Amino acid sequence: MTRRFWVFIEQNQGKMHPVAAELLGVANQLVSEIADELQASGEETSVEGILVGHNVTDIAQEAIQYGAQRIHKIDSPAFEHYLNRPYAEALTHLVKKYQPEVFLIGATTLGRDLAGAVATSLKTGLTADCTKLEMGHFRKIEKKLLLATRPAFGGNVIATIVCKDHLPQMATVRPRVFETPARNAKAEGEILEEEFEVKPEMMAAKLVEFIKDNNAQLNLEYADIIVSGGKGLGNPDGFKLIKELADELGGVVGSSRAAVDGGWIDYAHQVGQTGKHVRPKLYVACGISGAIQHKVGMQDSDYILAINTDPNAPIFEVATLGVVGDLYEVIPEMIKQLRAQKGASS
Amino acid sequence: MSKDKLQYDVIVVGAGMAGSTAAAIVARSGLKVAVIERGVKPGSKNYFGGALYTHALLDIYPDFFDRKPPLERPVTETGFWFLSEDGMVKATVQGGYVNSDPIDAYVALRAEFDPWWAEQAAAEGAFFIPKTLVTDFLYEDAKVIGVKTDRPEGDVYAPVVIICEGVNNLLTQKLGLIDHDLKISKTALAVKQLISLPAKDINARLGLLDNKHGLAISVIGDVSLGMPGLGFLYTTNNALSMGVGVTLDALEETQIKPYELLQRYLEHPAIAPIIKDGQLMEYGAHLIPEGGWTTLPKLYTDGAMVAGDAASMVNAIHWEGTNMAITAGKQAALTAIEAHKKNDFSAKTLAGYQKRLNETFVLKDLKQYRKMSAFLANHPEFMDIYPTFLNDALGMFFTGFGKPKGKLYKDIFRSLTRRRPLLKAVGDLVAFGRAITGI
Amino acid sequence: MIHLLASIKQVPDTTNIRIDPETGSMIRKGVPAILNPYDAHAVAAAAEWKRKLDGKLTVITMGPPAAKEALQECIEMGADRAILISDRKFAGSDTLATSYVLAEAIRKIDQDDPVDLVFFGKQAIDGDTAQVGPGAAIRLGLPLITYAVEISEINVDEKYAVIVRKTESGKEIIQTSLPAALTAEKAIAEIPYAALPDLITSLKFIPEVWSADEPLAYDENQIGLSGSPTMVAKSGTPEAHEPAETISVAEQGLSGAVEIILGKMLSNSSVASLLEELK
Ligand SMILES: Cc1cc2nc3c(=O)[nH]c(=O)nc-3n(C[C@H](O)[C@H](O)[C@H](O)COP(=O)(O)OP(=O)(O)OC[C@H]3O[C@@H](n4cnc5c(N)ncnc54)[C@H](O)[C@@H]3O)c2cc1C
Ligand SMILES: Cc1cc2nc3c(=O)[nH]c(=O)nc-3n(C[C@H](O)[C@H](O)[C@H](O)COP(=O)(O)OP(=O)(O)OC[C@H]3O[C@@H](n4cnc5c(N)ncnc54)[C@H](O)[C@@H]3O)c2cc1C
Ligand SMILES: Nc1ncnc2c1ncn2[C@@H]1O[C@H](COP(=O)(O)O)[C@@H](O)[C@H]1O
Repeated sequence: MTRRFWVFIEQNQGKMHPVAAELLGVANQLVSEIADELQASGEETSVEGILVGHNVTDIAQEAIQYGAQRIHKIDSPAFEHYLNRPYAEALTHLVKKYQPEVFLIGATTLGRDLAGAVATSLKTGLTADCTKLEMGHFRKIEKKLLLATRPAFGGNVIATIVCKDHLPQMATVRPRVFETPARNAKAEGEILEEEFEVKPEMMAAKLVEFIKDNNAQLNLEYADIIVSGGKGLGNPDGFKLIKELADELGGVVGSSRAAVDGGWIDYAHQVGQTGKHVRPKLYVACGISGAIQHKVGMQDSDYILAINTDPNAPIFEVATLGVVGDLYEVIPEMIKQLRAQKGASS
Repeated sequence: MSKDKLQYDVIVVGAGMAGSTAAAIVARSGLKVAVIERGVKPGSKNYFGGALYTHALLDIYPDFFDRKPPLERPVTETGFWFLSEDGMVKATVQGGYVNSDPIDAYVALRAEFDPWWAEQAAAEGAFFIPKTLVTDFLYEDAKVIGVKTDRPEGDVYAPVVIICEGVNNLLTQKLGLIDHDLKISKTALAVKQLISLPAKDINARLGLLDNKHGLAISVIGDVSLGMPGLGFLYTTNNALSMGVGVTLDALEETQIKPYELLQRYLEHPAIAPIIKDGQLMEYGAHLIPEGGWTTLPKLYTDGAMVAGDAASMVNAIHWEGTNMAITAGKQAALTAIEAHKKNDFSAKTLAGYQKRLNETFVLKDLKQYRKMSAFLANHPEFMDIYPTFLNDALGMFFTGFGKPKGKLYKDIFRSLTRRRPLLKAVGDLVAFGRAITGI
Repeated sequence: MIHLLASIKQVPDTTNIRIDPETGSMIRKGVPAILNPYDAHAVAAAAEWKRKLDGKLTVITMGPPAAKEALQECIEMGADRAILISDRKFAGSDTLATSYVLAEAIRKIDQDDPVDLVFFGKQAIDGDTAQVGPGAAIRLGLPLITYAVEISEINVDEKYAVIVRKTESGKEIIQTSLPAALTAEKAIAEIPYAALPDLITSLKFIPEVWSADEPLAYDENQIGLSGSPTMVAKSGTPEAHEPAETISVAEQGLSGAVEIILGKMLSNSSVASLLEELK
């Protein structure tokens, strides 16, 4: 029997959500972690994408390029817009048909809505918002299980969860917790058209209207450079300075929750456990103490510069480089020197 | 909703030590009492050093210890630590009088003790109304007949109100029992941290045998940077409660931030090793009324009495506050019961409260210590020169090996007189004696 | 008459959590238990609509006896009936088992007094899973609207509701037939400040208590530890890191310090190439 590792390929209006690629990367990693078992048993594995929507063949191809060997696709007008019931029923149907071992879903708004319903109708376990996934041994169980690690109690505790007697082992993962794998334009895979009939009672809720939110264009999660401000700004106007530095660096503005709670900036900018998980190439933390809940959201950034007046601020524990100083002095000076450099080189 | 007005026999404002005690005593007599507390729960807004004193607790519930109170460690060692800039002299006592049965003082965490203390009162029949702020009084013919709260349809009636609102005594001021705002020279701001450490580390570092042993320490000297104030250290089961309290006017004058003062204390070379690797669990700031007798309000008026911190009932030198609050709460309650018996709630009957209190340690001590806060404000040398001298003197005495001892004593003597002429020092001592005996 | 139902949970206030440095587990002592904030807003919305439509509001929770306080808070906001589902046998329930317990209870309540709209919070702040609402809804076969930020309309006669939900890209206006279920964001309603008589009523209120056997006989294989497919393999505190290299403005002077940090940052090739692109 094939040991199937499934990834839900989230899409919206003809675009694949980047978290799907990240999960395909993880799924391939997980498969490599059971190589020893496969060798012993002679079993096969496959990493498969589950795609539901309308006119989504291009997305199927994209998913293959990010590492899916096979795509199960339900392509029908009934799935044009996401709705919990029909999507959940469709996925449940597919799982029952193919019995995958692991099923990963992005912990996006859509994914969280969907995963809880699917896991419940399958009567299996689901671990939410995982920050680490691996295949490993649990107690004396012969086969490796999915060891899903996640924060609990507001990030103060880290717990590893297993689902030992039920399949599939399901987990959701927030965007940007894992890296995007390399895309292979030449990759080939199989696309299986699946059938699913939407019954009228599944359509009790209908989308009447969609109002686009322009703030949502911010796309903090996928920015390369983020300059974040926290409570240390002292007042809402401080974000003007943050924006200035962000513009100078070509980045976007992020924030801590304290700044959001203070009403200084919109929630869309919040980085952290209950905000966005980011992994930019450069993260500048200004006046942010570095509470655990903030750190978990940004510690995967490639380069972290922290500016804080308190030499003992925990943010320095995750920083690549720290500046002990007043952000109101340091940032203007940075802008000045950056401009001078630009002037010199142009 | 019913249009019946909310009517009780007695209203208590504030579910702190004073309030929950008053409520228990009133309820025990069979009267209907409501306790109105602004916090989510009794204790949620309260915190202190600190230690509770057994005599007061047993006075309210003779079976206190059988009720499984949430206490931390008993105080089996207590006294002063005198800090110089880089040294410390310990003057603590253990065994002997301190090893009484039951032990005289127990360390407690208010967030746990206050809800429990309130529960005991609730079991007596008191009704607690949390999450509600008392904003003003209801009057009839200039007599208090109830309170207003910040909730819609929030009036509550009772012929007598016991105000136990704590140090920030806005209601007491509103009633005109006191004519001033918090006097900043008479109020101290205490900042403290609760630092968690494994019990075995606490015991090892402080020389305690086990969790049945605990410390209550007043710290004098370098901790207050010469300002009138004290530091403290109390041991809970798994944490150290450490803080500094300094008068507000000194803070204002020096522009020193209380938090920096606390940080300095915790980084002191004799203190830092004690808390090494500890984790900050809680940080907080709270006012302490230190005026005592000098800021004592009028304690009663028609239909109302005031008890506890709200009435400046704190003896700052001995860290006595909770026991005064409990004792005063009880006396106010007894007076309210008497008023109900007489069906007379006028100031004339409620004057019985003051008479009762006069017979207790509360007013006796406050009166005796009435000169204390002025004394400390005028004698900063007790906060820096003498603790430092003590450190030098003992330090020199125990290192003067090979030195002619005559010269040693001269050196020691000079280390005092260099800082404070002898006559002045003698004067200081006399003044201290006067302040403490109240003569 | 419309019948609204809210499913609520009492949680430790995670903003106040302390961890035992020795065992790495949470110190429950002294941590206040609160009504899950999202649930509080859900109940506030439900209470608002029950008043508007002159209907009825029932709240339920599965939890220890102390969870009674959370139910009392719902009564304070305007709930008419409160049920505490409490039994040692439920201990250790994960989200799957919890959704079973709640769904069966809702089914039972619905038999006697049909329920039109079920309110859940978006998520409980202790576990942050956001799974129980969707799980219970699918068990009950109800259409589900997650992340609801507004209820624009509830039409009792024609049995439909219009609900606004928030997604990453904007707002969706959803029309659903009733009965239905939703999970609430905080924006769905403000928490009201109850009148004093309502507060007093709630303080004296004693909820109905249901056990695992009465009035509903739960299948023991679906509750508690045996009904929970997931289990905690291990738990601990997040690992600590070594502090980074720091440059002090006080020591290096302002322009000196900034020069050093920019220099160091630009010696990192990936940062340098990013900034290069800018020019
Ligand atoms: C369940 C839960 C979830 C949470 N989720 C998140 C989350 O997703 N994201 C998040 O960020 N937080 C989250 N938090 C909150 C988190 O615990 C912290 O409270 C928050 O991150 C603190 O924000 P801050 O660092 O801006 O503020 P503070 O902790 O107040 O820090 C301000 C910092 O600014 C420094 N500073 C002050 N003035 C200056 C100056 N002039 N120049 C330079 N530095 C200065 C200070 O030294 C201090 O270090 C969560 C908490 C809980 C309980
Ligand atoms: C750092 C520190 C250390 C201390 N150490 C000790 C010690 O070791 N031993 C000791 O005995 N004492 C100590 N004390 C003093 C002691 O804490 C107080 O004296 C005692 O708590 C006073 O009790 P109380 O009932 O008068 O006031 P509180 O305990 O302050 O209670 C007042 C209550 O009233 C409520 N309230 C106030 N206004 C209103 C309103 N308008 N409507 C409704 N509710 C209201 C408050 O929320 C509060 O619950 C210390 C104090 C501090 C700050
Ligand atoms: N034990 C419980 N009792 C009642 N409702 C619950 C319980 N656990 C979770 N819920 C509901 O489900 C929502 C999501 O919870 P969770 O999936 O734990 O994040 C909560 O906001 C509640 O509305």
